[in-house]
Amino acid sequence: MALNTAAAAISFARKLEEDAARFYEAVAEKYNSEEATYLTFAKENQKHIAQVERTYYGVISDALEGCFSFAMDTEEYAFSSELADRTEYALALETAIDIESKTARFYTQAARQSKALMADVPRVFDLTAKKHNKRIERLEELRPT
Amino acid sequence: MALLEEPIKKALELKNYVNGEWVKSASSQMISIVNPATQQTIARVPMSTEQEVDDAIAAAKEAFPDWRRTPPLARARHLLRLIDLLEENFEQLSRIQTMEHGKTIDESRGETRRGIEMVETAAGIPSLMMGYNLEDIASGIDEYVVYQPLGVFCHIAPFNFPFMVPLWFSPFALATGNTFVVKPSPRDPISQFKLAELMDEAGIPPGVYNVINGGNEVSQRLLEHPDIKGVTFVGSTPVGRDVIYRKCGETGKRVIAQCGAKNFMVVMPDCDLQKTIAALMTSFFGNTGQRCLSGANLLIVGKDDAFCKKFLDAFVNAAANIKIGYGLDDSVQMGPMQSPDGVTRALGYIEKGIKEGAELLLDGRKPRIIGGCPAECFVGPTVFAGVKPEMTICREEIFGPVASVLRARDLDEAIAICNGSAFGNGDAIFTSSGKSAREFQYRVESGNVGINIGITAPMAFFPFGGMKDSFFGVLHGQGRDAVRFFTESKVVIQRWF
Repeated sequence: MALNTAAAAISFARKLEEDAARFYEAVAEKYNSEEATYLTFAKENQKHIAQVERTYYGVISDALEGCFSFAMDTEEYAFSSELADRTEYALALETAIDIESKTARFYTQAARQSKALMADVPRVFDLTAKKHNKRIERLEELRPT
Repeated sequence: MALLEEPIKKALELKNYVNGEWVKSASSQMISIVNPATQQTIARVPMSTEQEVDDAIAAAKEAFPDWRRTPPLARARHLLRLIDLLEENFEQLSRIQTMEHGKTIDESRGETRRGIEMVETAAGIPSLMMGYNLEDIASGIDEYVVYQPLGVFCHIAPFNFPFMVPLWFSPFALATGNTFVVKPSPRDPISQFKLAELMDEAGIPPGVYNVINGGNEVSQRLLEHPDIKGVTFVGSTPVGRDVIYRKCGETGKRVIAQCGAKNFMVVMPDCDLQKTIAALMTSFFGNTGQRCLSGANLLIVGKDDAFCKKFLDAFVNAAANIKIGYGLDDSVQMGPMQSPDGVTRALGYIEKGIKEGAELLLDGRKPRIIGGCPAECFVGPTVFAGVKPEMTICREEIFGPVASVLRARDLDEAIAICNGSAFGNGDAIFTSSGKSAREFQYRVESGNVGINIGITAPMAFFPFGGMKDSFFGVLHGQGRDAVRFFTESKVVIQRWF
């Protein structure tokens, strides 16, 4: 689905973070290892939503290019956050890396497109992208050797 | 994307807010407020009587002595409480604006944010309202100036920013110790109704802030009433100049009349194409072209035909792809016009443009609307090329999503074309050259100038400029100008024997 407006970009960011949070809560419950890490991730996802929304609502102005700052497609960042009963831990880890990669890519692209048009919003997108990229490093470390 | 939930579930019966009470109008004349995107009636508003206007002014007059004696810091605290309430109700207020006006949810949220910024700025009144002094202007004699409120002010509101525009004035009037009467636009008064609820909840004392609904008769009464000290107005030039400004002159009232516009967006060949296009989409088609700071004339500078074609192709292509529909769908980029009257007006100008020989590059008369909305209030982005400065579509305010494209040989000619306009509200230049930008801002006759900014809307702490047929008055709305407008300077010279 095409994503052109700031309102839609913010809604989509919320969806990505909420889906990821639900996934990490399920992973923490299902597998014993690294439970604390995944629960922290889930909590951070909620924090990301708050930070992104607070920034957007704080700077949105009728003079900004809110309706014309984005030309994205949600399909490019869609991920599956389902955790089937028999999913092995290694597969769950792969899914987590996929979630983080796509979410980071979304924020990076959204930041690039809205730079200089949406005041502080691109900056919070960039910061959030960095946090998701950091998670990928952490998840790579958790891969079974 | 999903449609956001509508905050108005059934048609509201609007009342007046006078002396801290909700008062049902005795008038039998009611107007239905229709959501322009869905054509559903969402409220009914009374056309108040002359007596009801007088009652509101009397309440404001009675409240004035106590309110002006309330210390500025205490008055500011009322505004600080209001800010909290506005933040708590931010989303609801925004969605109401989309329902009553038609603008997109991003635009409504932007309007809410700007409205709140006015209150935030006015809350700094203890510093803003300070006078100044000088000891020993002659030996043993000191002199100082104090700023004092005058009494009852009013605002006659436009339909295009139903929530924000009254807030350009009322927080400054209240903060300086005046009392206030607002007449919302009868086309979309609901967000002002909601604002009055929040004023009440914030504890603004009875009579300090009043809302009286109605049409021209209410405006006339406000203009002629001897107890109104000053009038603030935002609307068309014929009304602002020939009615508001003239009448205020006759009756000795202060006046701010912010009026019509025909803004030029000047594009230099060295502009950043991609960012400029995004800015111009907002400028020309944001709020469906219904704002006094909208781009109306796109002026492409230079003899380079290849650049002109490339730029124009990108502009038309972006405009053609704008998603049109109900603003509560957060993927929508442009909503309907506020009323069928606006549509008729815009369509009339499109016909005129064709008749006068402009080339219709993009025809918005039959737009593709997403979400199955009824078509009554929709006009799509429209682009004319080959427009000449003498053509009607270049000279007159259309107040709709219609762009007229002109060309100029060089910056000198571009500035001359801009300055040939009767209006002077919000012109902008898009360039990467500091020299061009400096030359433009220095010479252009416009009250708000943009440099790589398509909507030249000043922040709450700067005055909202305007020149020529775009503004009538001396002091402007917002910022320090507003503080001066709502106060009289009193000079005291003292000597003690």
